[in-house]
Order: sequence, then structure tokens, then C-alpha cells
Amino acid sequence: MRDRLTIGIAGAGGDGVVVLGSLLQRLAASQGYFSQMPRYYGPQIRGGASGVKLSLDTTRASVSGDTVDIMVCFNWEKYAELEQELPLGINTVLFYDNAPPKKGINLPERSFQVGFSEISKELTGTTAAKNIVALGLLERILALPENLSKGATAQDHASALLERNGLALNAGKRLLLEFPFAELKLSPPWDASVKVVLHGNAAVAQGAIRSGCRAFFGYPITPASEIMQEMQERLNHGNGAFLQAEDEIAAVGLALGASLTGAKSMTATTGPGLDLMTEMIGLASGAEIPVVIVDVQRCGPATGIPSKSEQSDLNHAIYGGHGDAPRVVIAAYDVEGCYRLLIESFNISEYYQTPVILLSDQWLGQTTVAIDGNFLTRDYSVCQRRRPGGEYQEQYRRYELTEDSISPMAFAGDEGLVYQATGLTHNEKGRPSFDFATQQRMHEKRWQKLAPLRGKDELVEVFGTEEARRGIVAFGSSAQFVLKTVEDLGLQHRLKVCIPELIHPLPDKLASFVGSLEKLLVVEMNYSAQLHHYLRSQLDLPSDTETYARAGGLAFTRKELSGPMTKLAR
Amino acid sequence: MMKESSYRTGVTPVWCPGCGSFALLNALTGIVLPNLGTPGHQVFIVSGIGCSSRIPAYINAYGFNSLHGRAVLIAQGAKLANPDLTVVAIGGDGDFFSIGAGHLPHAVRRNVNITCIMVNNFVYALTKGQTSPTTPYLRRGEGPFLSLQFYPPVDPVLDMVSYSVSTGASFIAQGITADVPHLGWLIQEAIKHRGFSFINVLTPCVTFEPPQFFKTIREKASYLKEGEPVELPDSSREQPWLHDSGNITLALKLAQTPVLEKPHIGIIFRGKES
Ligand SMILES: Cc1ncc(C[n+]2csc(CCOP(=O)(O)OP(=O)(O)O)c2C)c(N)n1
Ligand code: SF4
Repeated sequence: MRDRLTIGIAGAGGDGVVVLGSLLQRLAASQGYFSQMPRYYGPQIRGGASGVKLSLDTTRASVSGDTVDIMVCFNWEKYAELEQELPLGINTVLFYDNAPPKKGINLPERSFQVGFSEISKELTGTTAAKNIVALGLLERILALPENLSKGATAQDHASALLERNGLALNAGKRLLLEFPFAELKLSPPWDASVKVVLHGNAAVAQGAIRSGCRAFFGYPITPASEIMQEMQERLNHGNGAFLQAEDEIAAVGLALGASLTGAKSMTATTGPGLDLMTEMIGLASGAEIPVVIVDVQRCGPATGIPSKSEQSDLNHAIYGGHGDAPRVVIAAYDVEGCYRLLIESFNISEYYQTPVILLSDQWLGQTTVAIDGNFLTRDYSVCQRRRPGGEYQEQYRRYELTEDSISPMAFAGDEGLVYQATGLTHNEKGRPSFDFATQQRMHEKRWQKLAPLRGKDELVEVFGTEEARRGIVAFGSSAQFVLKTVEDLGLQHRLKVCIPELIHPLPDKLASFVGSLEKLLVVEMNYSAQLHHYLRSQLDLPSDTETYARAGGLAFTRKELSGPMTKLAR
Repeated sequence: MMKESSYRTGVTPVWCPGCGSFALLNALTGIVLPNLGTPGHQVFIVSGIGCSSRIPAYINAYGFNSLHGRAVLIAQGAKLANPDLTVVAIGGDGDFFSIGAGHLPHAVRRNVNITCIMVNNFVYALTKGQTSPTTPYLRRGEGPFLSLQFYPPVDPVLDMVSYSVSTGASFIAQGITADVPHLGWLIQEAIKHRGFSFINVLTPCVTFEPPQFFKTIREKASYLKEGEPVELPDSSREQPWLHDSGNITLALKLAQTPVLEKPHIGIIFRGKES
């Protein structure tokens, strides 16, 4: 019996790899198992490589080990493309369909050729149910009952699929009966409550609805499109405004228009879309229009590797655009954070009347996790815009200089508060101004109003003992790999880890974390060490500061992180 | 002279004396808004960037002077989120037909109920006289245009009508600043049309155009009346037909008349509402 188990599945698009992974994940979740399942896919639409790496766990969802315990391979050629994501270990138990692999791939000792396709063809007339045959085999090995239906959500489609393929499923269960695979059995889950299954993109959309978002405009782009699709379903039935825009300039422009009438408005994209949105983000900053922009980062520049993760939009998020345009940048590092921080992004955007960019990434956005669903039903405070009261009749000044620099905002349509605003430098009434003093004052207003955000300690997570003088700063999904590696190396008492969710403006808690260190390591997934440069520009870093920064395209492995971490701890 | 309207703010326009934008301002604040009786707080005027785009500051309604070419986006977003608003997008020919041109076919097919007013002065005025997509060929020395027109100009009305062919949507009209009452009437009709509407307003720029340019347009202008024969330029070999703004084929044929030979003033096409 074991507490965690990692299953790799690889094949060609159309082999049912993701369906198999998802069914297993759902079955396990309905028994109470936690899990995490990143998806790997290439640029082709059909017939490209497709893989998943499902890590089941009895106590929590955390990133998987580097190698897999069980591997199911439907297609060796495609596996070769995914080898870096799904490396076989010497102890891996391998099940593969059809022909043995070509040279170059070393089969582990326990490798079994299982005719998944053949069995499917025999029983159902086509090879399409080969993934269900494999599911049967895995279900038996892991001792997972197959009654999907109980409690778990959105299972109808999955149950129907299993029902239709009952023969294939049962045949799978009877395979290799002579091998008990006892060491692959999972201990019972820590608690048997059903776990919810979702990915970061779904969490973002659900968070948006939770915070009362009423307007979403987007343009399709991998790996952010799931957010748009889910928002379309949720907003379409008279619940709000939704449009698939003609481009990302339009998406954010439509959102600003909706926001000016008072609707909580957002859009979601990735790097190339963020590029197109840049001018509008400056307008939102200058004219103080709330809007939330989610950037599910992928490898750049240009089209880069569209289906793979990177953290290289950080500079753009913080600095992108001309003319000193302050904005808030937040980064989620896990799925729960995608939900909670989307609500927080709206709160900040609405309260401070500023654009907020929420950074996610492909790994976070598209990896499905099975976790405790409590965070979905917890209470969250939801902020509203500050609105002008009766005192303003006749004298309303849209950009009134108040003590905290936040001016009450009328919505287009409000009686008695009519105002005209502009992206030009403007005075308190919103009238264009070409005067230096006004330009200076309005900059002060827009920057100073964000200053209190620095005190948001709850948006900075610190792990480890406070006394430690060696620490790591990491953000976004990379932080999960950092935490796991520290733990696996047993370095929790020597190293502390800081994960800023609020990135810009730079939070005080992050500053004091860095200030407490003698040695610092900054870990990030972009070639030019953008986070490190940002920190350096704002803080005195310890003289002993190192970075581990590399391009994206492959998730961090514990093996590669253990080098710099061991060095840090020494 | 129109009397000062309650729809005017106290802000003095920055426009050159004689600029065509004054006519639009007068039409909106002196005719359209008073006639429709819509209170200022239920009207949202969004503009782009250019001389004419300064207009929101002068109208006592909600207003937003946004980005070059993007007024039509902000306007649609606002209308979708608050359908009770009367939303008008205003900009120049550079706004609508150059930098923001990509948004127009989509606005037509979505048919969101907003009104776009393109102040077509045939030049980039704010940036001081470069050619716009609507600038006609002029011989060197004919005007103070800063850059020369190398490519044939587009006719916005023709292109807008052609965007309507596939969906049958939208309302397309042409007005002229020389006739403010008629312009006011056109804008009212456009606002009343429950769907996307677009008005190309022939406008002089007294600073960057030769004076005879707009004078010629004004002299050749011909008003469209439903059911009455359309006037065609001498160069045309077509037989005049009876104007029917509900007929897209006739609208296309009408719009193919070169605007500088026979500027048709009126409703060119009245498509299906949303
Ligand atoms: C992105 C961007 N590019 C260029 C400009 C500079 N610019 C301002 S107005 C304008 C063109 C103005 O012409 P038009 O839209 O016809 O309006 P007009 O001034 O003639 O009323 C240009 C190119 C800008 N503001 N923004
Ligand atoms: S430059 Fe031309 S368009 Fe601009 S204000 Fe003067 S006359 Fe009007």
C-alpha cells in the first residue's frame, strides 16, 4: 500500500488519453483521493502527441515525482515526443499496446504488452474503446470502484461513456490477473469526502462569477480559451454580457465600455493577446477604469510554444505600455488561488479603480486537480466601487482629489452625475488639461492610491521557520515545484520560501522576507530572470543572491531544482 | 443661429473657426437630443482621437474620449452592459476607416444598437494634414495636404453597405455639415433604428483642405427621398431608379456612385433591426 502514485498515459490525439486520465481522476476523486494531472499536447490538432501525468495522493494534491510509477502507452512514436515529460524509471510498470517500441527506448523490467486495441476491436468492433480497456485494468490494479455517479459533479457524460463500454471495461479488469501488482495499491484516502475536479482556467471563471462579474469579452487563444468558453456558458442566459470579440484590442475595449456603466468586466488571454491589449491597459490606468485581465502565460516570444508554460510575461504585466501607467499585478500559484485571487483581483480593481492583471500559466490553467471543494463555498468579501452620494449633485467631480486618492465613480446612466472623461491628461472634473502641474498631480493620485496595497500581507505566503536566514522567492506554478522539492530534500528547517501572490506594487511582507535573509535564491521560469530584476530594482538584495531562471517548455523537475537548493542550504 | 442648448457644457471647443465639427455639435445638442427628449444621463457619447473626437467634453451627457480607432468598441461594451443607454460613437475618418477599420464589419454583423458618426473631413487633421484613407487624389499644389495620396481612396459608404450584404443588418446614411437640420434628422433616425447604424458626415476641414474642395461637394450634393428618382452623375450610364433604402442591391448601386461626383445625402440603407 502506498500514499501516492503517478500514472503516465501517452498516445496520439484520438487515442482517448485525456478521457482515460480524466475518468481515472474522477473515479479516484469520488473515493476521496487528491490528484493533479497536467496535460501535454503538441501543436497539431489531430494525431499529435497527447499525454497526461496523473498523480494520485491520499493526503493532498501536489506535483508529481519526476518519473511515473505506471505508464500506459498507446503509441511509441508519440511517446518519444513526450519522453521528457513522462520519463520511465527502472521501477515503472509499463503497459503498452501493440508493437514493442523502436530502439532508443529502454523498457523497464516490468513491461507488459497488452492488446488494448485488439480487445476493444474484438468486443466492440472498433479500437476506439482501447482506453476503456486500459481503464478496467488500472481500476482493478488500484482497487478503485467504478461507481462514478455518487456525489461528484458533471459526471453524466462520463457515466454514459462507461455504461456504453461496459464490455470493454470488464475485459480490462480481467487482464493480467496472474499479476497482483500489490505494491501499486493505494492506501485509503485521508478523508473519503468527494473531491472536486477542476483546472485553473475553470477556477478563474468560477471565481469571476462568484465575484459578480457581469461582462466578459475574449478572443480564443491557447491556453486561455477554456476561461472564455466557461464564461460564455455562464453569462449567456441573460446573466450578463458576453461576446467573442474580433481581436484582443476589441476584447478589452468592450470590457472597458461595460465597466464605465458599472458592470464588473474582464477578459482573459495569453502573451500575444496581452501585447494587443497594452494601449487599452494604459487607458484604463489613466482614466481609472476597473477591469480584470487574466494572462494564462505560455512560451514566447511571438507564437513560441503555445501549449507550454512559461513565466515570461512578468515584465510586460508590470511595465507594459507607455507613459507611466500604474496597474496591479497578481499571480496565482495553485488552483485554489486562481479562484480566490480572481475575486481579489476584482476587489482591488473595483476598489482602487485600476486595471488588475492576474497572471496564471499553461501548467496552472490546464492541469486538472482533485481537491477539497471547501474554497468554492467559503465566504469571501466582495468589494464594490466607491459611489458618489447625494452631496455631489451638480458639483460631481469624477477625479476628485480625496484623502486616499480614490474618487467616487458615477456610472454612465446615473442621474445627476453626468461627467465627461478622457484619456488625455485631465483635471478633477475630467476636462482635458495641458498643464504640467495637473499632469504631475494626476500621476501622484494614480500611483499613491495603490500604495496601501503594499500592506496586504495575506497576499504573500511564507513557508518554513522564521529564523532561517536562507530563503527562496518564487511565484506562479513554479512555486509548487519549489515547495515540493524543499520538502523532498528535507530542507524545511534550513530554507524558507516566500510566494508573493501580489507582485506589483511590491508587498512589504515580501520586502521584509528578503530583508531577513543572508542568502537568497530566486526561482522562475523565464530566460532573463524577470522576477529577479524586478526585486533588484525595488529592494536591496543580499549580496549572496542567486537565480535559477530558465526558459519554459518543460515543468521544473525536482532533480534540477535540488542542485541550486542544496547549494543554498549548504 | 441655434440658441444655446441645455445639452451643452460650458467648455469652449478647441476647433478652428469654421470647422465642420461645430455643425455636428449643433446638430446633436440643438436638434437630436432635445427632439428625442433623452435626458443627458441616459446618453453616452464615446469618441476616438482626432479633432472631432474632442466633442464629448462639449455635450452635457456621459462622455468618454477614448483611443484612436476604438470608440466603437467602448460603445458596444457599454450598450451591452446597459441597454437602457443611448450610445453614440464619434470619430474621424482615420479613426473609423484606418486604425479602427477592422472593427466595423464585426459591429455590423453583431448589430448592437449603437450609432456611429464618422466625421469625414477627408484628412488627418489633428496630426496636421496627412492623407487619410478617404483623401481623394489631388494634384500637387492643390492643397496643403502634408503627405501625398498614392493609393486610391476608399468610399466609406460603399464599404459599409457592402459589409451589410451578407447579414442584411445595419443602417447606413450620409449627411453633410452644411445642412445641420437634415444632419440632425438623420442622426435621430439612426438612433431610433434598433441596431447598428453608421453615418458618414461630409465635413470641411478649413485648415488642411483647399477651400474649393468642400464647396464642390456641397454644390453637387443631392438629397435622397424614398420613392423618388435618384440623381446620378453625368458620367453614369445607369437609368435613374426610385430610391428604396430597404433594398440592399439598390443601396449598393447607389453607393457605387463616386462620392465626389454625386454625394448622396440621406439614408442609403435601412437594414434589419436586432
Ligand atoms: C495608436 C495611435 N496612433 C496614432 C495616433 C495619432 N493620431 C491622432 S489623431 C490621428 C488621425 C486623425 O485623423 P481623423 O481620425 O480623421 O480625425 P480628425 O483629426 O481629422 O478629426 C492620428 C494618426 C494616435 N493618437 N494613436
Ligand atoms: S484642423 Fe480641421 S478638423 Fe481640426 S479643428 Fe481645424 S478645421 Fe477642424
